[in-house]
Amino acid sequence: MRAEEKIDIDLFKVVFRAIAQSDNLEIMANHLTQLLVAALEIKGCTIFALNPELDELEVLASFGLSMNYLQKGPVLSDKSITDTFKGKPIVIPDVNDTDRLQYQQDAKEEGIGAIVSVPIDFNGKVIGAVRLYHNEVWDISDRDVDSLLVLSENIGLAMTYTRVLTALKTIRYTVDDIHSVWLPGEE
Amino acid sequence: MTIQKILVTYNFTNLDQKALDFVTSAFAHIEGVEITIFHVFTPVPDIETQASVVTGKLKGSLSYLSQQIMQRENDLKKVTAKLAENGFDESRIQTVFRPRKKDIAGEIISLTRDTKFDTIVLNRKAARVARFFSGSVSQKVVMTLKDTTVCIVS
Repeated sequence: MRAEEKIDIDLFKVVFRAIAQSDNLEIMANHLTQLLVAALEIKGCTIFALNPELDELEVLASFGLSMNYLQKGPVLSDKSITDTFKGKPIVIPDVNDTDRLQYQQDAKEEGIGAIVSVPIDFNGKVIGAVRLYHNEVWDISDRDVDSLLVLSENIGLAMTYTRVLTALKTIRYTVDDIHSVWLPGEE
Repeated sequence: MTIQKILVTYNFTNLDQKALDFVTSAFAHIEGVEITIFHVFTPVPDIETQASVVTGKLKGSLSYLSQQIMQRENDLKKVTAKLAENGFDESRIQTVFRPRKKDIAGEIISLTRDTKFDTIVLNRKAARVARFFSGSVSQKVVMTLKDTTVCIVS
């Protein structure tokens, strides 16, 4: 049986509006996780940022998963669904039938039946991942996986933009602290 | 007697529990301390439904998710009960559970200014790359607020 396609242009419109309407990455990422959970009728969704120094995934936003599951331990990029970090989407249709999970037992205890992991990349480098968690075995369509890849590329752009914005704000705060008396020629 | 007002930010993590343990050990035995447990959540986004079947269904699902979020207020009340068990007078513990309208640091700063807290207890997870993207909450709070003691649990 062909897997049902759930992501269409109407959903894209809603999701991209959520991205465009926020200048705050946390709010935007939280809205994205909520929208994906609601639209795909799944258990949960998490958006991770990759910490390149520690090779760990850090939770940027999450919805639908328990705090216990989110705090299960460091999510190591070389042990956790590794192909995501080679820039490929990974579909685990049944968590009981895989050797690709770092925390398989925790996933079962959380009531997770299937996981889809899509890399977030920018300029050819993986900077994070979007993970979708279904409470049942899940046969996601290839087209929906492709749609998720397009979505994750846009999340990558938004992450990069907010990173620059955060850096600029930090510079502004620092410059605001400089009294004109320290600047030659300024009154 | 002067009342000392303490704001504790809480997001149900292990570090938040550590911050509560600190508050208990430092303040539970002191009379005249008022504790406010503060949690902000991201409300589900408003979407235009118009005539689309997909977005109409989505709105229904989002409404269900919104109810799930609101249930967390009960979880926050359990935290209050635990503080009372650990020696705080229940009448001196309050909770603030509300949707966020700006970044977390901005919410903390606004509440502190409005309610005039003497002390804020925050937590800070070490080595977070997420800070590059969203900025540091503790740094912004410390840099912005004046005449307020900020304790950072790490």
